[in-house]
Amino acid sequence: MALSGSIANQTLAAIRFGYGLRPGEQLPGDADALLAQIKKGVAQKPRFPREGLTGRQETATRVLSVRAAEAKARQAGKPNDDIRKETQREARRIYRQDAMARIAQAVHSPLGFYERLASFWVDHFSTSVLKSLPMRMIVPLYEAQVIRPNLGGPFNRLLQAAILHPAMLIYLDQNQSVGPDSIAGRRDKRGLNENLGRELLELHTLGAGSGYTQDDVRSAALVLTGLAVDNRALEVVYRPRIAEEGPISVLGRTYRDDEGEGQDHILMLEDLAANPKTALHISRKLARHFIADSPPDEIVQAMVDAWSKSQGNLTEVYRAMLTHPAAWTEPGRKIKKPFEFVVSGFRALNLPERNFANLVRDLDGEDEDEGLASKAMEMAGADPQGARKKAAGRANALTLGALQRMGQPIWQPPSPAGFADEESVWLAPSQLSERIAWSRMVARIFGQKLEPAQFLDMALADAVNPETKTIISQAPNRVHGITMVLASPEFNRR
Amino acid sequence: MTLQERFLLSRRGFLAGACCAAAAPILTPVTFAAMPGEKRFVTIILRGAMDGLDLVQPYGDPAFAALRPMLGRTPETGLIDLNGFFGLNPAASALAPLWQAGELSFVHAVSTPYRNQRSHFDGQDMLESGGSDTSQRTGWLNRALAVMPRSDSRKAIDINTSMELILTGPNAADSWSSQSNFTLADDEIAFLERLYARDPAFSKAMAEAKETDLSADSLYGDTKRGAGIADMARLTGGMLRENYRVASFSINGWDTHVGQQAQFKKAAGDLATAIVTLKESLGGDAWKNTVVLAMTEFGRTARENGSKGTDHGTGGLAILAGGAIPGGKILGQWPGLADDKLLDSRDLMPTGDVRELAAAMLYKQFGIKPDNLTGKVFPGLSFDASSQYLRG
Repeated sequence: MALSGSIANQTLAAIRFGYGLRPGEQLPGDADALLAQIKKGVAQKPRFPREGLTGRQETATRVLSVRAAEAKARQAGKPNDDIRKETQREARRIYRQDAMARIAQAVHSPLGFYERLASFWVDHFSTSVLKSLPMRMIVPLYEAQVIRPNLGGPFNRLLQAAILHPAMLIYLDQNQSVGPDSIAGRRDKRGLNENLGRELLELHTLGAGSGYTQDDVRSAALVLTGLAVDNRALEVVYRPRIAEEGPISVLGRTYRDDEGEGQDHILMLEDLAANPKTALHISRKLARHFIADSPPDEIVQAMVDAWSKSQGNLTEVYRAMLTHPAAWTEPGRKIKKPFEFVVSGFRALNLPERNFANLVRDLDGEDEDEGLASKAMEMAGADPQGARKKAAGRANALTLGALQRMGQPIWQPPSPAGFADEESVWLAPSQLSERIAWSRMVARIFGQKLEPAQFLDMALADAVNPETKTIISQAPNRVHGITMVLASPEFNRR
Repeated sequence: MTLQERFLLSRRGFLAGACCAAAAPILTPVTFAAMPGEKRFVTIILRGAMDGLDLVQPYGDPAFAALRPMLGRTPETGLIDLNGFFGLNPAASALAPLWQAGELSFVHAVSTPYRNQRSHFDGQDMLESGGSDTSQRTGWLNRALAVMPRSDSRKAIDINTSMELILTGPNAADSWSSQSNFTLADDEIAFLERLYARDPAFSKAMAEAKETDLSADSLYGDTKRGAGIADMARLTGGMLRENYRVASFSINGWDTHVGQQAQFKKAAGDLATAIVTLKESLGGDAWKNTVVLAMTEFGRTARENGSKGTDHGTGGLAILAGGAIPGGKILGQWPGLADDKLLDSRDLMPTGDVRELAAAMLYKQFGIKPDNLTGKVFPGLSFDASSQYLRG
């Protein structure tokens, strides 16, 4: 099954290339309108990190210096568990607020295609908040600082920005990588960590099975030595003492340290970005994500051609995809990923900003101790903590918890390869159950006053089968009518 | 009920209430002391069009057996005889002791003024708004709060995740959601299966999910659902034993177009569970002062359809329960099931207005003036103290 054939391009643009329809939002009608979103998106400040880029850098380093001070005191025999726990709580709260802001960003932005691209690239260059405490604070920073501003320009710039960010280096253990033949390596026998080198070739650029060898992986890792993160300042630093001395050969090209002060890795990244295999790998991945699990060869070829003609200008690659007829004629078989599903659900419901603010407040309620409500309830002999927990639980079940249960928690990919993208994964029986349950929950909470037929129109416009329309109009109660709109095949495919 | 349970209101709901005078009793211990012996009123909305002819079967009507070859029963085939003419479906056998105790009555052939359209959404709107058309945007139970003479009986609660139409309006009412995420009712599952019928991948996923109950909080499990209904009724009972006097909740699962017997059994079991649990959790004194009114948007066709089910009809059945009702009776005028007695030779002919029944119960419980009942609560309704539902 797929979305029916004769859907207006405007509808398809919003559903296939954006986060779905939102009542009152102007629809991008064609490729140009979608591409025009990129410049606007790049110029915009996302809703996360909440304190902005420099603000977050300050917050993160402050939290880490508190932890460092406590660690020092601990070594001196004066541990302070409260301080440690408080920093953990704060990092968790920061993550939670940013994750909610990421949902709100996608829900409220009129630049659906740009937002989808941001999700695509954050997933392509996966990092995870689960890696360590600082990551809860800097993965959102990473997305805002390097992914979003660079997703419309040349690929080599995006690649460098992503790889040379503390979040990526921490995630792929670059701090543990020491050139065996470096000064430090020879002295304390620390060794090479190939993680970043391997993922760089396999996932970020050339693609698995594209012909490189294990020697290339090791060599790439050797070239990357010297790159590290200053754990206190959370900045990328170059440490010559751990850098492998050249020359090192990767894919037939030889890199030497004397090509500049630790510039060998930059040169290697440039070469990898320019490699035709990278163009093919990424063009195909984009087409798989946006168009179909098995996209037509012609559309991939058109994207590869645009890549080589423009030296990897990503906007030109997107243009080649969007102006190819197959982008608009392929049947919509793809299943929305959980994040797309939840975001498009909130968009269809047209939830006002303040509802989100309330959800965020409820989520934070778990950490609160005082407040008007709790005082009043205590006077009445009630248990304010219980009520707060309940509100927090509900807010969580609607948003972050739902994504967790559906298997796509925000900024927590299962591996460096990111989340799966195929229909089979996102249409498993338990997945469908979770989607029905979520649909039912939002229908009960936000949908009591909605007319199912009208909501169907808001959510899908002409992308709906007449039979589906009939079934929804006959639902035994309104809540179930709304539930079925969100749980329908049409709403879950794109 | 523990203190914790009693105040498990959503924080926003609580704050919204805390700003108005009507919420003051919640903070005043005096109100607690003054509570016992006060009248209580609970509405249960049976969503999906409950088949009254299946719940309370007119086995004594000569036309019944022919109209209902599969669904119809007699006392010989398990029907619980009520008065020699009507019998209770054994799926609701838990209610039989209440009948014997004079705490249960049924009202046959009632309806709202809704005719000929047969949309669940509009039908439920009419039932909840209490108007003569679908233009009312507030609920009759909410409007009733404003005209109840004693303000201490005005604390109302809707047991739902958000306020249902029946209690929506300008007067303060709280809404509470049960912790359990209710499982789907059978008719809701059947609708999802129809929805997925044209998409094999979805159909397959749905079939497997149902089969193995791979679910989000057991979306399809009967046991879980029963427990959820009991939780909701227990909570309602607890609230009413404290300072709430008016409550409302819904039971889904009544849209039995296909394979009615199995579906209806579950839904009727849910209804019986709800009423019996309400009685248990309210306890003797409070139950004595309670009226429970269960009602549905419309009835179902007198004849079975070709899918062992029934379709949307007109005249329906309302259920009264509690210690404060004229109990052990089948109320209303029975129109008969002969072909010429049916509406459009199809539906049970409505002979009473379910709004009049509701008005009578509001009058009885709270002494709301008939003028207010016909002017503000149910505009356009004719009702006075001589109503048939107040006799006995």
